[in-house]
Amino acid sequence: MKQRSIQLLTSTGILLLLLTWVHLFVLQQEEGANSTLIFWEFQVPRLLSALLAGAGLSLSGLLMQNLFQNPMAGPYVLGINSGASLLISLLILGAAPTFLNELSYVSAAMTGAFLAASFMFVVSKRVQNIQSLLVIGLMFASFTGAIESVLQSFAAPEQVKQLFIWNMGSLQQMSAAQAPWLGTIIVFGIATTLFLVKGLNAMVLGDAHAIQLGIKVRQLKIVILFVTALLAGSITAYCGPIAFVGLAIPNLARALLKTQDHLLLILFSVFAGSCFLVAIDVLILLLDPWLSIPVNVLTAVIGAPYVAYLMLRQR
Amino acid sequence: MISIQQAQVGYQTTLIDIAQLALPAGQIYALIGRNGSGKSTLLQTLIGQLPLRAGSISFGAFSLTELQRNAALRATQVSYVASMFTGVEALTLRAYVSLGRVPHLGAFGRLQASDLQFVAEVLHALNLSDLAQKDTRKLSDGERQLASLARAIVQDTPLMVLDEPASFLDYFNRDLLIDQLQLWVQQKTERTAVFSSHDIDLCLQKGIPMLVLHQQKLTLLAKPTKQEVMALLSQNS
Repeated sequence: MKQRSIQLLTSTGILLLLLTWVHLFVLQQEEGANSTLIFWEFQVPRLLSALLAGAGLSLSGLLMQNLFQNPMAGPYVLGINSGASLLISLLILGAAPTFLNELSYVSAAMTGAFLAASFMFVVSKRVQNIQSLLVIGLMFASFTGAIESVLQSFAAPEQVKQLFIWNMGSLQQMSAAQAPWLGTIIVFGIATTLFLVKGLNAMVLGDAHAIQLGIKVRQLKIVILFVTALLAGSITAYCGPIAFVGLAIPNLARALLKTQDHLLLILFSVFAGSCFLVAIDVLILLLDPWLSIPVNVLTAVIGAPYVAYLMLRQR
Repeated sequence: MISIQQAQVGYQTTLIDIAQLALPAGQIYALIGRNGSGKSTLLQTLIGQLPLRAGSISFGAFSLTELQRNAALRATQVSYVASMFTGVEALTLRAYVSLGRVPHLGAFGRLQASDLQFVAEVLHALNLSDLAQKDTRKLSDGERQLASLARAIVQDTPLMVLDEPASFLDYFNRDLLIDQLQLWVQQKTERTAVFSSHDIDLCLQKGIPMLVLHQQKLTLLAKPTKQEVMALLSQNS
C-alpha cells in the first residue's frame, strides 16, 4: 500500500518534470535576439502559472472537500471563484486606477473568496445533501454573474474588455514580477496545510468523532477556510477563474491512492494538479497554430465529464 | 473510578437526576433503560459532548468540566464508540482503527512502529486482521462495529463509553465484545467501560454490573438479577 503510494507519487513527479521540459524547451522555442528576454518574461511565467495554479487549486479543492465532508466540493462549483470574481470586478470598475495594483487585486480576490467560502459553509450546515449544495453554489455563481453584468453596463468598453479577458482564465496574464508573489502564497498555503494533516485525517470521520479524538475542530475549520480562500483567491486574481481542477484532482487522488491519509493526498494533489494544468497548457500550445483555446474551455472539456461520472457513481 | 454528585443530565430539561453514585474502576458497566429513557443523553454527558445542567462528575483525577475545556486532554482520557459508523470512502479498516491513535500523534499524524504494532495486536484480538485492507464502506455493519471498538481500544484511555456497541453483532461477536471489554478494563489499573445495551440476558449471564435508568433515576445493581432489573424497568416513568 505504502509502496504503491510512493510509486504513484514518484511517477507523477517524473511526469511533471517531463511536461515541464516539453512545455519550456520543446514547444516554446523562440529564435532571435530577444529569445532570452522572451524566455524569462513570458515562457517561464506562463509555466509557473500552470504549475502554481494547478497545485493551489487542487489543494484548495482537497481542503474544501474535507471541510464540507463532501467529495463534490471544490472552489469553482461552490462559487468561491465567483466571490473572488465579483470583488475583482468591483475593483476594476470602481476603484481609481491608482489603486489597481498587486496588493489590491490579490486582497480583493481573497476577500471575495473568503466571503463566498464562509457563506457556502454556513449554507452547508443547513442543507445536508450534495445535490442541494451544488445547486446553491450554482445559483450563487449566477447571482454574482448577474451583478457583474449590471456593473459592466456602467463600465467603459476598455474595462469591460479587461474583465472579459480575465474571466476566460488564462495562464499568460501573470508577469515575471508577479510570479514570486503567487509562488510565495502557494508555498505558504501548502506548508500550512502540511501542519494540518492530523486534523484533516480525523475530520474524515465527521465533526463529533474528530472532537472526540482531541481535534480543535472549530479552529481547524477557520484555518481551512482561510487557506482555501488564500489559494483559490490568489490564483483567481492572477489567472482568472479556472474550473474543475479543484474538484477533479483530489477525487482522482483518492481513487488512485485508495487512502484518506492527507499527507499523501496533499502531496499527490499538488503534483497531479500541476501536471494537469501544465498538460492542458501543452495541449493549448500544440493546438496554437490552428486555434487558440482558453484554458477554461479545455479544463471544462476534460473536467466536466469526469465530475458528471463522479456524481453518477455516488448513487 | 467515576463519581457523580447531584448531577442533572439533559438538554433543555432534566432527563436524569443522579444524587450520588460511585463506579469503581476495573469494571465494565451495562447501561440499561427503556427506549427514550435517556441512555444516549447520559453517554453524551459522560464523554463531555453535553454539559451537565447541575452537579459534577469526576473521572479519577479530572472533573468533567476540566475535560470539556480541553479537547486534547479529554481525548487521552475518554474514548467513545458511537452506535453507528457508516464508513468513509477510501478509508481502510486499518486506517480507521489507526485514527484512534490520533491523540497520541504529532502534527503530521505519522504512526510510529509501536503504534502500528498496537493496532495490529488489537485487530488480531478482534479477528479483524483479514479485513484490515478493506474499504470501510464495504464492511458489514457488524464488522464496522467491531472496528469502532478496536479504534477505541487503541485510543488507550482510562474511560471507554460505548453506545449500543452490540446492536449489529451476531451471537459470537457479542460474546467477543463483552470478553474483550472485560479483558480491557483489567489490562491496566483505573480503567472503566460503560456501554448501553438492550441485551439484558447476556449481561446477566456474564455477571456485568448494571446501571438501570428508570423514573429519571440511575440505580447501580452490582449483582443484578432478572427480577430486580425487570422490577425497576417496569415502574412507570
